Amino acid sequence: METRRLVLTLTGIGVVLIVVLGGLSIALLATGGGNDSGSAQNGSQTSPAATAQLPQRVAGELRLFGGDPISLDPACASDADSATYIVELFSGLVSFDKDLKIIPDIAESWDTSQDGKVYTFHLRKNVEFHDGSRRVVADDFKFSMERALNPDTQSTVGEVYLSDIVGADDFIAGRAQEVSGIKVINDDTLEITIKDPIVYFLDKLTYPTAYVVDRREVGNSTCFQGADWTQHPNGTGPFKMKEFVLGQRIVLEANTQFYLDPKPSLSQITYLLSGGSPLVMYENDEIDISGVGVNDVERIRDPNEPLNKEYHTGANMSTDYIGFNTQEGPFNDPRVRKAFAMATDRALVAKTVLMDILLPAKGVLPPGMPGYDENLAGIPYDPEGAKALLDEAGGPDILKDVTLLTSGQGAAPSEALAAVTALWKQNLGVDIQIEQEELGIFLRDVDRGNFKMFSLGWIADYPDPQNFLEIKLHSQSPDNETKYSNPEVDKLLDSARTETDQAKRTSDYQEAEKIIVDDAPWVPLFYGQDSVLVKPYVKNFVNAPFVIPRMRYVTIER
Amino acid sequence: MNQAELTAGSLEAGEIRRTPQFRFYRRLVRRPVAVAAILIILVVYTAGVLAPVVAPYHFDDADLHNTFASPSGDHLLGTDRLGRDVLSRLVWSAQTTVIISALTVIGGSLILGVSLGLTTGYFAGRVDSVIMRVADALYSVPTFLLILIINATMKDRIKSLFHDIEDFSGIGGLVRSGAPNFFLLSLALSIFGWVGMARLVRSQVLSLRESNYVLAARAIGSSTPRILFRHLLPQLTNLMVVTITLSLGAVALAEVSLTFLGIGVEDHASFGVMIFQYAGPTNVRAHPLLLFAPTIVVASLMLSFNLLGDALTDILSPRRR
Amino acid sequence: MNGLAAYVLRRLLLVPVILFVVSMVTFALGRYAPNDYVAIQAGSRARPETIERIREERGLNDPVYEQYIRYVGKALRGDFGQSVKYRGTDVQDVIFPRLWVTLQYNAVVMLLTFAIGIPVGTWAALRRGTWLDPLSIGTFVLVASVPVLVSVPLLQWLFAVKLGWLPTGGWNERNILGVKVGIFSAEAILPVLALTLVSVAGLARYMRAQVLDVLDQDFVRTARAKGLNEYPVITRHVVRNALLPIATLMGFELASLFTGSIILETLLGIPGIGLFAFESIGSRDYDSIMAIVLLGALVFQIAMLLVDIAYGFIDPRIRLSAEGPT
Repeated sequence: METRRLVLTLTGIGVVLIVVLGGLSIALLATGGGNDSGSAQNGSQTSPAATAQLPQRVAGELRLFGGDPISLDPACASDADSATYIVELFSGLVSFDKDLKIIPDIAESWDTSQDGKVYTFHLRKNVEFHDGSRRVVADDFKFSMERALNPDTQSTVGEVYLSDIVGADDFIAGRAQEVSGIKVINDDTLEITIKDPIVYFLDKLTYPTAYVVDRREVGNSTCFQGADWTQHPNGTGPFKMKEFVLGQRIVLEANTQFYLDPKPSLSQITYLLSGGSPLVMYENDEIDISGVGVNDVERIRDPNEPLNKEYHTGANMSTDYIGFNTQEGPFNDPRVRKAFAMATDRALVAKTVLMDILLPAKGVLPPGMPGYDENLAGIPYDPEGAKALLDEAGGPDILKDVTLLTSGQGAAPSEALAAVTALWKQNLGVDIQIEQEELGIFLRDVDRGNFKMFSLGWIADYPDPQNFLEIKLHSQSPDNETKYSNPEVDKLLDSARTETDQAKRTSDYQEAEKIIVDDAPWVPLFYGQDSVLVKPYVKNFVNAPFVIPRMRYVTIER
Repeated sequence: MNQAELTAGSLEAGEIRRTPQFRFYRRLVRRPVAVAAILIILVVYTAGVLAPVVAPYHFDDADLHNTFASPSGDHLLGTDRLGRDVLSRLVWSAQTTVIISALTVIGGSLILGVSLGLTTGYFAGRVDSVIMRVADALYSVPTFLLILIINATMKDRIKSLFHDIEDFSGIGGLVRSGAPNFFLLSLALSIFGWVGMARLVRSQVLSLRESNYVLAARAIGSSTPRILFRHLLPQLTNLMVVTITLSLGAVALAEVSLTFLGIGVEDHASFGVMIFQYAGPTNVRAHPLLLFAPTIVVASLMLSFNLLGDALTDILSPRRR
Repeated sequence: MNGLAAYVLRRLLLVPVILFVVSMVTFALGRYAPNDYVAIQAGSRARPETIERIREERGLNDPVYEQYIRYVGKALRGDFGQSVKYRGTDVQDVIFPRLWVTLQYNAVVMLLTFAIGIPVGTWAALRRGTWLDPLSIGTFVLVASVPVLVSVPLLQWLFAVKLGWLPTGGWNERNILGVKVGIFSAEAILPVLALTLVSVAGLARYMRAQVLDVLDQDFVRTARAKGLNEYPVITRHVVRNALLPIATLMGFELASLFTGSIILETLLGIPGIGLFAFESIGSRDYDSIMAIVLLGALVFQIAMLLVDIAYGFIDPRIRLSAEGPT
């Protein structure tokens, strides 16, 4: 009798426990879903909670491994993971096609004034938001760009990409109610005036900050508050959000009403956000495209390996580098910086540690970037010279408390970086400790000059040398972390900025790059390269060097 | 930590016989399993203590011209991606384990645990109830999570504290040596690690307090500290040794886990670092030995601690099996 | 029973006190940490004026105790602040789906543990003295000793890479009757397997000892001597003794939801509460950390209380004092 009572009591407790906790989660999940559909009534046909379905393959579905997006708000996203989804969900006036040419997007065409400062965009009349409720008009663009610039939105990138527009500064500072340089002529015509006749302004407009958002949906959400709408965004891009389960998967489906050709051919794209190793997932047929890492690249490069036929590489316009604080000792002495550059055997590190999945770098501009200088000598590896130069500048003792700042989480920093510091130890006799910081904290420390040296990579936003040389190394650029300042370089960069003669412009940039490399505010380490495996039935996959809308080209042919 | 806490708890609950030391050890060495476990533990910890002497290379000595070398005479367990000797990294990792264990045992179990246990046991009443309340509270929070948070948030503060100490005292290289990380990690582990020991000491003192010889000591006018340290503490040595031994496994595992998560020791070899670097599926496929080496050491260490723990519990409370 | 009720009441009264202390400590750690958390949230390119304005708006320039009081006030109304990892999303909207993930596989692990561990342990005890005895106990100790940090990479390598039977990790939930359930997908097998192995071995080891204890007790011997059928006696006592570890295990299982899952989920990339806790600590997402710690402490308290109550029911000899038998 007693035993039975005990058993019953305990079972009861167990059941109650599970039911209470489980029920709590379910209830909370359900209310979460309720919120979703509540705001989805604003017109969106896709209610993620309702359409969630079994993750079995649909015909024409592409499966990928994806990063968890920090923000799907085009005005806010500053990372590549988020941008990958945003460029498929939203669109802007212009965009890059698969050959990295600027093409008309929502703007059907545009005129440029004689002085190169006034752009008049003529909008397509058949562009609608995903929910089909209304067409996109010029005023939507004015709203969206002003929203990205508005300090209340707290965007950290709006200013970076849109402050070339006349009146942007006054608007940001609160001195004006609107951006005077963005004028709505009529529903179909938008006029944008910029301060200087920069030739890469259209490039900048391809960035998500200039994309159009549905004002009825975004309301007064900011980058840090009220972003529920990004779970079911009402965009204009080639794909619509079908399902977004935080941390698990994002499912996009084709926007059959898309206005550009080719229209998306894939029925849907499933991005798996959680999980182990993409390459193993690829080999187990869970995903269709996967990157290749250092552990497997040798095996896959072997022509006898079946996977070898599915292996593709492509330039990826990015450069990894070590940056120095050029305003503080010991790295305000160019000899010290140069000694570090000379002591870094990039080719060896690339070969032994990275299995050549990245290429050793000589300069700032990566291959594939217009203006890339094949003949740039760079600072060659010279251990004896490096040691001599450092001794001349004061010897290893001046580097006693120097640490190398890097972003990262986990037990150990990247092995390539460890190899670089090992080379310094071997060639210069200096013991540089690598200090890992979480990305956000790292970027802030770098931004504030709170470092002696750091390691970072820069990937192109658009294919123009300005995106590297001016943004990262002009003395007045807010993104010049090293605070490198050379009047000669500034002069060259300033003139190249607005130069319309392409050849002169290129030579100016190459000249500036030579001086920069010689002054060594950076030790360029590696140029990026994409190594991917693509299943044979996936056709027309675009291996783009930076984030562009590319999924509408992809087809599946089984 | 739960393992050790549990065992300490059952020791406390069980009826503990005071066995003369020699009988205790004789019983222990009669069990081959226990001896084997002790040997494994001794080998790992001795290697750790003698790391600078016995390790063929320094844990950070990279040789980019000799990466992923197979085991050979020069490198008994081969080398890793940077050409670092795997065996040396294992030995230096054991040193990290030894340092953290020693600091935590001294700080948490011995200093905090014993003194608080003695105090609460001997001076029952208000002090007792306050300290035991705190112990309760520490038992009823997610320990590992809090240790993670303490380490993550305090790391920079502790580092700058050590920088100040360096400037003030003129001793160089403190921060360099990784001392702040060791200090912080052991501190965090100690904050939560004293409870088991304190409870054990307390329950023993409670039962011994009224024993004849303590009463006698008090009668002849011995001072309280004298009674505590001369009469009570020696009675507890065996139990303390056992409790500490049982907690070592948990401390070692905590260090490895925290370092694996990037929140433990930095710039130093650790089993956690080695597992972190070679745990991914593609890593294991390409370089299985680099994962197997640290995992085998960690697993056998944990196994040895468990076997030894079983043996000790068995000897001390023979009714259980 | 009165004693028990009073005890439960006392423990319940202690819950808010502990939550209060834990929240205060965590809050202080967050606010006094050297990193300016607004600057971190605002990102690298935010202007100093913007950061200052946000600080002011969020009341971060007020004394810490005022901020804390405000936080408690908001938290009591169910507002736990904003997530950093998913910008602009409320913390509770992130945490509960994450907790649900962790809860699912842990529940299955618990059920499997009891279903397998108890019979296996009993069986091992009844085989005492045979050659199977050392073998089984050796296996139990061995399996129970291998930490998750070691077993998971090895299992992952074996089943996902070498054999290709299971996915390498991740989590996939599908809609079943309107509820997102992930436990029925292949992704769930690896975490369940890894955790079940350890806890089955632990429970079996414990059960074996318990059953042996019962077999050696006087009343069983007496029953045997009297020629009575011993099995009803044994069963009854074995069951009673088995309930203790079940209660304890359930308690610990529940209590370790938040901490035990950190390593496992990091290794397998499972988007549960453990991985979220780890990510939040890494990105100094203090609102999320606070919520996780509070929820964790609450669940921990409840679990411990349930364990104590269970002990009280099962074995009235265990004196229920505030110290508890944990």
